[in-house]
Amino acid sequence: MVDVVLFELLHKEMVAELWAQAPDPDLGPGGQKMSLLVLESIGFRVGQALGERLPREMQAFREELDMLKFLCKDLWVAMFQKQIDSLRTNHQGIYVLQDNSFPLLARMGSGLQYLEEAPKFLAFTCGLLRGTLSTLGIKSLVTASATALPACRFQVAIQRA
Amino acid sequence: MTVHNLYLFDRNGVCLHYSEWHRKKQAGIPKEEEFKLMYGMLFSIRSFVSKMSPLDMKDGFLAFQTSRYKLHYYETPTGIKVVMNTDLGVGPIRDVLHHIYSALYVELVVKNPLCPLGQTVQSELFRSRLDSYVRSLPFFSARAG
Repeated sequence: MVDVVLFELLHKEMVAELWAQAPDPDLGPGGQKMSLLVLESIGFRVGQALGERLPREMQAFREELDMLKFLCKDLWVAMFQKQIDSLRTNHQGIYVLQDNSFPLLARMGSGLQYLEEAPKFLAFTCGLLRGTLSTLGIKSLVTASATALPACRFQVAIQRA
Repeated sequence: MTVHNLYLFDRNGVCLHYSEWHRKKQAGIPKEEEFKLMYGMLFSIRSFVSKMSPLDMKDGFLAFQTSRYKLHYYETPTGIKVVMNTDLGVGPIRDVLHHIYSALYVELVVKNPLCPLGQTVQSELFRSRLDSYVRSLPFFSARAG
């Protein structure tokens, strides 16, 4: 594995570059949505590849919950060198993954400073989760929210065809 | 033993951070002026020391002391300068100054995407961690007030 710092700095540059290029900041939500979408789809592609690569020595996943556990353990360890702190579900296809110290936010602050900027730094990881799940055969919608840095939660909504 | 205050300068002389714990005597000039004065003196000491040294130096200027306080100086190859004033009882604290640079400045400012470099540090996380680290030092003591 390459040094973590390289990924963190590259991620930081991707975010900065996409925001610098946002067609017109005056467009408001439109311009911002575009950048979030690009970041999210880069994450999706990376997640797809990781989904192929990581579950090497495991038996086929029997059920949905196994796959979500795989995300919390193996994927998170591969990306961030730690496991996710809690996984909750309503048993109807909604899963909430909570990380109390998300590495991409951990250096930015504790509390409310910089809270407005946090969503930019979560989009890539949303795509990552969605991409991995899609390789494993699950369609999903992933959203993220942060209420106080550096904690954040990812909500995975499984879409059934 | 006491820690009086701490300055962080970048290679262009911008004061990145200043904190103060036990300082009984203020300079009597605005802080901006004080930072410039401080940086100017450090800059002169650097060139003075390098010209006066009869041998090639490795570390250069390390510290000076007066009758009441001691100024510790640490500079990285990138020009970041960590300057700490303590009382006379404190020995060499190079590792402490290096820790402030590597574990606090690099981790929380350089790696924080929202902190522009070359400006006064605004991150509250950096300030609070720095404050608690300095307060935890064995030679930090509140009794001097």
